[in-house]
Amino acid sequence: MSRWLAEALAVAAKDLRAEFRTRVALNSLALFALTTLAAVSYTIGPYRLAAEDRPFLLSVLLWIVIFFAALAGLDRSFVKEEESHTAPLLRLAAAPTVVWAGKLLYNLVLIFVLMAMLAPLFCVLMGFEIAMPWRFVMVLAVGGYGLAVITTIVAAIIAQAMTRGALFSVLSLPLLLPLLIIVIEGTRAVAMGDLASFSESLRAMITMAGAMTIVSAFLFPIVWRD
Amino acid sequence: MRVISFRWMSGGISISFSDVAKRYDLRVVFRAVSGEARPGDALVITGPNGSGKSTLLAILCGLLRPTKGVVQYRTDGGDDIPRDEWGRHLGVVAPSMAVYEELTALENLRFYARVRGLALTDADHRALLDRVGLDPDRSTPVRGYSTGMAQRLKIAQALLHSPSILFFDEASSNLDPSGQDWLEGHVRSLVDEGRTVVLATNDRREMTWGSRNVSLVG
Repeated sequence: MSRWLAEALAVAAKDLRAEFRTRVALNSLALFALTTLAAVSYTIGPYRLAAEDRPFLLSVLLWIVIFFAALAGLDRSFVKEEESHTAPLLRLAAAPTVVWAGKLLYNLVLIFVLMAMLAPLFCVLMGFEIAMPWRFVMVLAVGGYGLAVITTIVAAIIAQAMTRGALFSVLSLPLLLPLLIIVIEGTRAVAMGDLASFSESLRAMITMAGAMTIVSAFLFPIVWRD
Repeated sequence: MRVISFRWMSGGISISFSDVAKRYDLRVVFRAVSGEARPGDALVITGPNGSGKSTLLAILCGLLRPTKGVVQYRTDGGDDIPRDEWGRHLGVVAPSMAVYEELTALENLRFYARVRGLALTDADHRALLDRVGLDPDRSTPVRGYSTGMAQRLKIAQALLHSPSILFFDEASSNLDPSGQDWLEGHVRSLVDEGRTVVLATNDRREMTWGSRNVSLVG
């Protein structure tokens, strides 16, 4: 294992250890997701949508719940470092790219835990039938990665600002919107068994997540150090 | 238990700063401050509350950029050290810099050692905790520590990688008399070993530890 990866894993492990002891971000993510899911399943339920509309509308609802739950909790990774005054020592001790990769890994774990709980529950409660389950997992994985990359760099930017809460949503939404549209289309495609649309959406998701990874990796040292 | 010695192995590093100024919008914190500390020196920065001692320390650590002026780190051989490498060579204890309160003291040291790429063992961490007067076997998170105990852990964190330059901002403020005695002895031994020490303080006792002085006006 390279030294860089070991250091990044140390940052992620430290954040996860601290998170599992306080559960601030996990509780925010889970509470928002479960409340929204309960509201959606109670008001719409599995039978109120026309059969031909179900794949698209349920894909929209699933990703809205995931995206807004993520916005409720993923900014904590950097905001907490600044609020608890641990950021200066971390700046001195670790290379910026190590911090970025560690925080990205931490956000990835949180978003995957959220998805692992939420997606099966959503499918059961809303009667969301998926024609291609393994490809559905791929859409969730790549979409979740894209979500984590974007929220990680935005969280790093807003952690330096005074009006953090509002700024996170304001800055995240324009960046997340294209990804949101693509993952909704990918989810609709796997629900309907539309392989051509799935492949097209997956390519677009990977391209966007890859581009955001490169941009974030170059941008982060500037945001973090200055 | 393996007892390790935290002896300083690397060469000395000098720090010099000239005409350093810091301004936030229209508020001038300080202007045209200059000074120097060489290996074996203890530079004391003094000044009334709000004069910018902690700000100057943050600039000297590379955590803030000065509005004007130059800060340089130089090796014994006279080579400049780039700003993004300063963190490897310095340790800092300051009220505005905290360790992780959700982790135990041992977990904190393990974390800082790992991100610094140090090949230290738990025995090394325990020896360091013992050296700063903390119980290495205490398993409670730092949240439950007194301010003095948290200060001792911050000192341990600063010494972990045997840095060539050490910055102390009001370092003895939360320590009990025995802790203050220990810190004074330790700072003096760091200076004797040839390390560069910078202290920001208004404490009369800490002021006597220095061989050079920079005074900021309020």
